[in-house]
Order: sequence, then structure tokens, then C-alpha cells
Amino acid sequence: MVKPISVLLVDDEVDLLDFLSKRLARRGFLVQTANNGRQALAAISASKPDVVILDMLMPGGMDGLATLGEIRRLFPHLEVVLLTAHASTEAALRGMELGAYDYMVKPVAIGELVLKIEEASGARGPMTSGTRTGNRYDA
Amino acid sequence: MATFWNRLSRLIGLSSPEEDEALERALRLDFRRRCALFRQLVNSNNRALEVMSDMEEMLRGGKPFGLPQVRGMCAQATANVFKMIRCLEGMTDGRYNALYDRLRAVQQEIGRHVEGGRDPVPGPLVLGLDAIGAADAGEVGPKMANLGELGRIGLDVPSGFVITASGFRRFFEHASLSAEIEGIIRDRQVDRLDARYALSSTIQELIVAAPLPDDLVQAIEAQCQALAETYGDEVRLAVRSSALGEDLPDASFAGQYRTELGVRLDQVTRSYKEVVASKYGVAAMTYRWNRGIPDEGMAVCVGCLPMVDASSGGVVYTRDPVHPSDRRLVIHAVPGLPTAVVDGNVQADRYLVSRDEPMRIEESHVPRKQTMAQLDAMEGVVHVPLQDSEAEAPALAPQVIIDLAEKTLAVERHFGQPQDVEWVVDRQGTLIFLQARPMTGHMPVVPEPQDDPGLPLLLEGGEPASPGAACGPVFVVRKNADAFSFPEGAVLVAAQALPRWAPLLPRASAVVAETGSAAGHLANVAREFDVPAVFGLENAVSVLDGNQMITVDGTHGRIFSGCAEELLASQAGKGPDFMLGSPVMNTLTSVARHIVPLTLLDPESPDFRPDFCRTLHDITRFCHEKSVGELFAADSGPVRKRLAKQLRYNGRPLKYWLIDLGNGFTNPPQDRYIDFENIASRPLHVLWEGMTAQEWGGPPVLDVKGFASIINQAASNRDIEPAMASSFEVKNYFMITDTFLSLQSRFGFHFCTLEALIGDVTDENYASFRFKGGAADLDRRILRAELVADLLEEHGFRTELRQDALLARAEALPRVELEEKLRILGFVMIHTKQLDMVMKNRDMAIVYEQRLRRDLASMIAKSRQ
Repeated sequence: MVKPISVLLVDDEVDLLDFLSKRLARRGFLVQTANNGRQALAAISASKPDVVILDMLMPGGMDGLATLGEIRRLFPHLEVVLLTAHASTEAALRGMELGAYDYMVKPVAIGELVLKIEEASGARGPMTSGTRTGNRYDA
Repeated sequence: MATFWNRLSRLIGLSSPEEDEALERALRLDFRRRCALFRQLVNSNNRALEVMSDMEEMLRGGKPFGLPQVRGMCAQATANVFKMIRCLEGMTDGRYNALYDRLRAVQQEIGRHVEGGRDPVPGPLVLGLDAIGAADAGEVGPKMANLGELGRIGLDVPSGFVITASGFRRFFEHASLSAEIEGIIRDRQVDRLDARYALSSTIQELIVAAPLPDDLVQAIEAQCQALAETYGDEVRLAVRSSALGEDLPDASFAGQYRTELGVRLDQVTRSYKEVVASKYGVAAMTYRWNRGIPDEGMAVCVGCLPMVDASSGGVVYTRDPVHPSDRRLVIHAVPGLPTAVVDGNVQADRYLVSRDEPMRIEESHVPRKQTMAQLDAMEGVVHVPLQDSEAEAPALAPQVIIDLAEKTLAVERHFGQPQDVEWVVDRQGTLIFLQARPMTGHMPVVPEPQDDPGLPLLLEGGEPASPGAACGPVFVVRKNADAFSFPEGAVLVAAQALPRWAPLLPRASAVVAETGSAAGHLANVAREFDVPAVFGLENAVSVLDGNQMITVDGTHGRIFSGCAEELLASQAGKGPDFMLGSPVMNTLTSVARHIVPLTLLDPESPDFRPDFCRTLHDITRFCHEKSVGELFAADSGPVRKRLAKQLRYNGRPLKYWLIDLGNGFTNPPQDRYIDFENIASRPLHVLWEGMTAQEWGGPPVLDVKGFASIINQAASNRDIEPAMASSFEVKNYFMITDTFLSLQSRFGFHFCTLEALIGDVTDENYASFRFKGGAADLDRRILRAELVADLLEEHGFRTELRQDALLARAEALPRVELEEKLRILGFVMIHTKQLDMVMKNRDMAIVYEQRLRRDLASMIAKSRQ
């Protein structure tokens, strides 16, 4: 039995969270949700998900990029995919520079999101297992 | 810190078998890591190239798209290019990190076009109409600026004030509306009409519920107070939009925004929000979408004008919009307020007036008018029935018609182009102008349909509202919900020519309505979209409903049964392409310059360096080239020497190299060859069965040319396309495990990828195949890609085509089924090689396609036995 990939979805839009988590659960993912950056950090500490899908625009002082910065600082090996309704090349670049695995624009096709999660978790194909950049292996 | 390779180099030279084995293990581990990065890099490369292909397709026009979509594509391309650089960094120990700076520089160029647009310096929140002239269009919108200008040249206009673009921005900023609305729109599929209906009400409710800032409320109240002092507390206002951008060339925006009539002074702020919200009405959103006009930057300025108690009103065109060669002025008039003319819900008088002095009325059409719109002190605007004598009487006296024509001609002279002018005559007989806008651009030039198409005439005598002829099945619309089921290419038939049907026009072949005139909003939009229209056609709904196919002659106001081929043949081909030259298209053109072109052509040139990357395409090209070099180049030392084993088939070496990533070989090879029998990779065996199932009838197959040439043999001819040049010797490397196969094969810029995982877990199984390019010209390459896509789809693959790039996938299938898919891929790869070269001849292409289909079927049948 293959261990399911666990995903943490972080978005302040409850409807979207509900929609995405149902779809992902149906595809066999283990899904958790959080409504803001603080909740996300707590959820990561508690359950160590494989991948985080993080909305960029969230209220409450800690937006997606700030949350991303914290995740990278506290959990450097955790892959984070940014999801945004407000696409901009500037934000895309800043997010990637901060260490996001990828950057996706809403509305996102569920198939595309699934592929991305699998890719980020290293699940697709034996060549990808656990590898992201050279840094981890050069140590 | 010593790098991995430094550490490895210390190992090189050791020769004991154990040390040798340790080195090989370490090499394999590192190679696996590089493969994984390469694979990610290729994925990101594919995604970035897909965005570029999509952009190229959009640049050709014909399909509407919005600014958020352009912005999304730019951001995706940027993120994918970043990922490529990051992967290359991991593969080359940061040798090309200068690429990050190049990406940042290119991103800033892109961002300047697509993310710039800082708001202009704030101006006054409201302006009195008497202080406004044509030069103030940026603050009050073209409609109100023109009205102010009419006052300045001595014509009578209402007094009143305008809530400015600065007022609009102040409101949106105060209520944080811009970001929220963009988010809502981005979440949905704006390209679908039903989604637009849902979006529209959500956004409009949001705007109406949002609070106005205090300073704006105070400014509005001060203006209202001044009006009350002049006209009394009971004065009623017309609150109407004057949106920025309404003066775009060729875009009329007719009837797209709401006008509130009969508004009391204490209701102005509420009505203001309603009019502003109508920016997101379905008609307006659809219109902008189809015309490539961005939502943002389009501030809605709102004019608040005391209403005139009108005895009559209407619209003058200083040129006939349906017959542009006719130089006469066309006046549409109704008793009471002119709203009935523009809304299209009644019939109007039509007078044609000569242009030359002395001006005279050359034609009068006076239909029976059922109702008129009137201002009521209590109710606002009401429609009252007309007595028989009033219903039959002309709305204007002859001397008023001439006075109106003369003054309107003066307006045309002042602005220097034909005008579309709205006016009223008040109870004292004063002619007051409400609006003037240029009509240039929405006067389509279409050939006159011939007189007698030889078909049964169903209806005639309607008012020609938009010229030309078209045929289609009848579709009667009665309620909003009918819009969802409106079929593409149907003739829209409605009781009234209401502006709310405008969103359907891009899908309609023609429009017919029982009321309305050429002066209504719907007629304006029909002319803009080159959709023939006949209005004011009594009994049209009952006569036409149930007809299968009709022809609408919008030039002569007639309807025929059936499809009048002769009539249509005289028509210009396709309608105008609104995207070309639109603001959104211009933005895409500007950003595409920094994304799509490939300027870094020759990898052997000394200029093939990060600092010479000028576009995102250049960076992807550079990353791909260097990553391939890193993995597969002839001089990539340890990999080639140690890991890659040349395939030997029946004792004969072939030009394929295999790299074992784990359990791919049954016995470790003793020399530089691996015999086919020693391959343990199930996917490779199955693929091979497909490849060798049948001799290729054309050029040699499975020869020493190599696997990449299967896809693209002629690509090695550098004269064909300079972008194909590559500094690397072409090798075909399979990376395998017992259950996995990956083939990365490339010629210069073109490459193909095949990957398959076939194991016991059905959900994880997949086969994917991707290729792009070829040696022939683009048309032939596209034909070949389409043929391959057809073949694969017939066999259960999911395919995506973008020009000559094909992606085919099959997944989550049980082992046996997926093996068959892989066999099919092997067969198709071999037997479609060089096919682009023969695609010049369609007949030949059909012969090939049939033969391939037949051979493939027989291969499958054999393998199933």
C-alpha cells in the first residue's frame, strides 16, 4: 500500500478550500486546511505535510509571501506551491526567489494541481524522488 | 567547501574493484540527482514554451482575452523560467547564476507593460459642468467632456456636475474594491457567458454595498445643494455614466452602462454607486471582453444633470449609419424623453435631412407610437400610453427638424467628424443637447445585398439597423435565461430591441426585433460587430418563430425564408477582428517582445552566454542547451565513460545508450555494451516491440541514425532552421529502471520526451509522449502533429496540441493496458518520422494516414494474440 501524499491547503477563502480539499481527497490525497499563515505554521508543526499549497493574498498581517518566508526558515525541506488570483511577474519572481517550488494562477485546473503536488512531493517517477536542488545533496 | 565532483575526482585513479564500484555507485547517485533536475527543467521548459505558443496564437487575433489572462501568462512564464535556472544551478554547481540577473531584468521590462499603470495624480472629486471642456476628458470621461464643450460653443446643455475619475478611484481605494474585484474575476472563467452572469451580480452587489468616503459624499452633497438652490428641492436628475476609454477608436460602448433617470437629490449617492456598478454589468463585461478592453484603468465618471421636462427627444446621426455613402442626416425622434429611442423598446419617427444649404427634409417616416416616456414628479420616469391623435402625429414640427439638423451639423463641424447626438426639446421649445460622440468607426462598409435573392419573402418594411445579409436558424429570446442556450450562428429574434441582448451579438449571425431603430444601443453594437439587423418589424416573433432557416437583409430591412446563398456571397467574409489593435492586444504585443522571440540562436557562437539572453525564450534555450550538455554531451566525462552503455542488438551496436538508474539490467555489463537480452526494464522491452513491429515503408528505420531522428531526422540539416543548431553530438539516451523508462532526445532546439512507469500500482502508471518541431515548414509540421494526435486519440490517449507541439498522455491504467499504449507509442514514433516532409501534399498525407491507421490496428491485433 502506497502512503498517500499529504497536502496542506492555505487560503482565506473558505469556499475554495472546501472545493479543492474535496477534489484532492477524491484523488487520494490526505488533505488539511488552514485559513491564514499562523494556522498554517501550526498545522505544519503538528502534522508535517508533504506539500503546502499557499494562497498569496491573505488578510491578517501575514500574507502568502511572509508565510512562505517563515516556512522556508522553519521547515527548509518542505515544498510550497504558491497559488494566486492576482498574477504578477514581480510576485512570481519574489515568491520563487523566496524558495517556492512553483507558482500557479487561479483558477487552477484540478488535474494540473494534482500533477504539481505529485511533482513537488517527488511522487511522479523514480527519477524525482526527493530531489529539488543540488544543495541538499552537496552537504 | 569541496564540491561533489572535487570529492569524486579524488576517487578517480583508484583502481581496486571495491573502489571502482564505490565510484560507480556515487556516480550513479549523482547522475540520478542530475536526471531529476533535468526532468524538472524540461517540464518547466515545456510549460514556458506552451505559454509562448499560446501567446503567439493570441497575437494572431480572432479570440478575445483579458488583461488578467495576459498577466497570468507572463507570471507563469517567469516562474517557469526561474525554475529552469534553479535546476540548471543544481546541475552545474551555479556556473550560470548570472541568468538570475538576466531574468530579473527581463521581468522588469515585462512588468513595466503589464503591471505598470500607476494611478494618475488625483484631481478634484467632482466638477461643475460649466467648468468642463473637451480637454477634461481624462477626468470626466469623453461623454461629459463633449457636453461641456457643446456649452462652450453656445449650444444649450443642462447644468449639473460630474463625479470625476479621481472620485471613482477615491471610492475604489477607500473600499479596497479593485483587488477584491480582480480576485473574483480571476477565480472564474470570464470567457463563458453563464459565468459572467454570476460574476456580474456578485461584483455589482459588492460595489453597491461598499461605503463611499466622507470627502466624496461631502463634495457630492455640496453640488446637490447648489442645484437645489437653482431648481428647487424637487429637481430630478439624470445620473449617467461617462466612462474613461469610451472614446476608444471604433468602440461605441453603446448602452453598456446604466443611466438612472428621475433621481431625487437625496438618492444621488445611491444612484452613483448603481451606475458605477454597471461597469460590471453582463453587457459591459461581455463587450469589453470581446473588444479586448481591460477592466482596470477604466474609471467610470458619472454625470448628474437636472432632467428636462421634454416634449420630444431623440438621436441625430450626421451620417446614415446603415448606408454610410448617403450624406444625409438621420433624425430619430419620439414624443417625450429620448430614452425610448436608445433603449429600443418603441418605434421612432425617422427623418432624413439634406446636408447642403438650404437644408430640407427629404424623407419622413412616422410610425404609430404606442407610448411615451415622461418625467413624473412622484414616480420618476414613466411610460404613458398615447392618444390616437398623438400616436399617429410626427414627434417634431418641420422647423424644429431643420433647426436641430443645422445645430447638429455645427457640432460635426466643431469636432471635425460625423456625430451621434442625443437631444430633447423642452416644454418651452428650447432645443437642449444631452450628448455628442463621434460615430466614426462604427459605420461598417459592407457591399449592398442584391435586390432579389429568389427566395420566399417572409417580412419587409423593417428599419434597416445594421447593414449586410446573413442567414441562420431562428432563435427567439424572451427572457435572460434564453441567453444561456443561444446557439452560435443563430438569428436572434426578440420582441424588443433591448440593450440587454447585446452580449449575444458576437455569437449571433443576425438580429431581428419588432421595435427599435437604427439609433438604439442594440443597433449600435450590431453595427460594431458587423451583425446585420432589422428592427421595427411588426409581428416578427410570431412570423419567424419555428422557421428553420432565414436570411436577414439588414441593408433593406427584409427577411427571406431559407438561406440565400447569392445574397450572402456578395458579403464580405468574416466580421472585423476586434482584438487586433485593441488595448489588451497592444499590451500583449509589448510584453511578448520580451518573452517570445528567440535571439540566442547559435550555441557555438561566443555570444551564447547568459548576458546575451534578451528574452525569456533565450533563457529557456540557454538553460536547455546547457542542461543537455551537462547530462549527455560527448565530453561529459564520467557519465559517458562509466554509466552509459551502448545497446547491442543481435550482436550489432546501435546508436542508443542506456543508463541504469536501478535494476534496469539483469547482469552488470562487463564492457561498454549492453546486450538487449540483458535489459530488465519492462517498459523498454514493450516500447521496443512497438518500434520493431513492422518495417517502415519509407526512409530507413532503426538504422544508425538514432532514435531522435525518428522524430526529426532532417533537423540535423542546419540550413533549414538556424535555431536548430546545437553544439552537442546527438545521442539518444534511455534512462531506465525495471519499471521506468525515460527518453530525452533532442536536435538543437527541438526535442522529444517519452516517459513511462509501468508497475503494479495502477494509479501510478503512466506513459507520456511529447514532441515539437520537425524539419519542414510550420504548416506541414502542424499537419504531422495533428495526424499523430488523431492516431493517439483514437487509441485512448489524451492529447494537447499547440501548433506543432504535441503532448499525449495515458495514465492510471492496469499494466497490460498501459503496455499496449507504450507499444503504440513505439510504433507511432517510428512510423511518423519524416512525415512532415510529405505533408506538403494533402492527398499523400491521407494515404499515409490510412496506411498508418491500418498498420497500427494490425500491430495491436497481433500483439493481443
